[in-house]
Amino acid sequence: MIKANFKKALFVCLLGLVSFTLPIKKHITIWMVGDSTMCQYDSSRFPLTGWGMPFAEYLDSSVTIKNEAKGGRSTRTFIAENRWQKVVENLNEGDYVFIQFGHNDEAKNYPDRYTTPEDYRNNLIKFVKESRDKKAIPVLITPVSRRKFDANRNAIETHEVYSKIVREVAAEMDVPLIDLDAMSLKLLQQFGEKNSALLFMQLEPGENPDYPSGVHDNTHFNAYGARHIAELVLQGVNDLHLELSDRIFKKS
Amino acid sequence: MSFAIAPQKKITVYLIGDSTIADKEVSAYPETGWGMPFHYFFDSTVVVDNRAKNGRSTRTFIEEGRWKPVVENLKEGDYVLIQFGHNDEVPTKKSYTTPEQFTANLLKFVSEARNKKAVPVLITPVARRKFDSSGKIEETHAVYTQLVKDVAAKYKVPLIDLDQKSQELVQQFGPESSKYLYNYLLPAENPHYPTGRKDDTHFSELGARKMAEIVLQEIKNLNLELANHIRVVPLKEKK
Repeated sequence: MIKANFKKALFVCLLGLVSFTLPIKKHITIWMVGDSTMCQYDSSRFPLTGWGMPFAEYLDSSVTIKNEAKGGRSTRTFIAENRWQKVVENLNEGDYVFIQFGHNDEAKNYPDRYTTPEDYRNNLIKFVKESRDKKAIPVLITPVSRRKFDANRNAIETHEVYSKIVREVAAEMDVPLIDLDAMSLKLLQQFGEKNSALLFMQLEPGENPDYPSGVHDNTHFNAYGARHIAELVLQGVNDLHLELSDRIFKKS
Repeated sequence: MSFAIAPQKKITVYLIGDSTIADKEVSAYPETGWGMPFHYFFDSTVVVDNRAKNGRSTRTFIEEGRWKPVVENLKEGDYVLIQFGHNDEVPTKKSYTTPEQFTANLLKFVSEARNKKAVPVLITPVARRKFDSSGKIEETHAVYTQLVKDVAAKYKVPLIDLDQKSQELVQQFGPESSKYLYNYLLPAENPHYPTGRKDDTHFSELGARKMAEIVLQEIKNLNLELANHIRVVPLKEKK
């Protein structure tokens, strides 16, 4: 009797094991659409790094990252150049679309990039709708902060209008939102005015062969900064309790 | 045909050493060895072959047969950048190497590289992040750094005093900010280190690049021929 019960218990245990280990995660793709702060860079531009690059290192083997982000692109030019079309055509059910634009949309001094707030909103809606039509999951991301401090050494908002639009579209359409602007602004504040420069493309003349005259850039990240931003996005994924968070690397 | 230029043979720069230089598994990111960014600095005539390995001393590097294939592949004009010490100098580590043996091993690397007409470069072990109570950085490789310098002086080997130079850098950053150079992570900050990390030996991406930049600068200062193969891009205001 005891033996039979034991066998039964063992069977139930094994069954439990099987049911917990068997479901193999469906392979999915994360499509990253955005600008220079997210995109892939050639090693000739090192240490320049888009946050999509380190982000890819923290997902398990069930995920493929397609980083389609491109420097200088706004929602408008990304669509006009048929970059979005290419993504939509390849979307599969269960894929994610990470959408982060704003830097170039809001740049009035670059008319070839500039997108009006109305168009920006409509383009975001287009991304969301067309992703959902393909049963993919859009995730809206507010544009990562630039490094700008006021006289009191407070990190200041640099995307006021356009981040707000992202938040509004997310709320209206019930889209998962990662408020990267707010998160990164907080990160910059934690680093402080001086040390936050360590996150960006800041090189002295002669320091790095690829930038002989040096560079002082408060928008684009170096490898160290890009990784910190990627950490914030991963945090955002976890906070949203997306299915995707089960695919973030776990220490066994 | 006498004017035809023979295709230039590529120069291989071998890096031999420990975890402070080594390429890392993705699962160890953002820990970064300085050999990782180092290979971005050269033009297409140079191949950087990073043979450095976590945990190795001069002795275990040789014993495990890691040095032999380097020697076998060396050709005239290649470089061997040699940086050990962290694992040699700790008596409690299995990798411990006595000072005498450390000196002998460095000499072996140098003479065998030279036998193949390659150029050995000795590098003192990069600094750990250790400050005294007054905020002054402490030397943590006193004995083994001196041994590297002695071998370099005695056998006229190009020397990069990375220990000294990196101490200066870490001092500039100071006790608090120098954490940015090393693998410091808060709990839950990074999926690879769920409980966080406070590592005063291994670098972040930032620290590794800064160390690689020091080594590069010293290669220029030594007027090594290798300096002619550092990537050159035209000066311009904005990239």
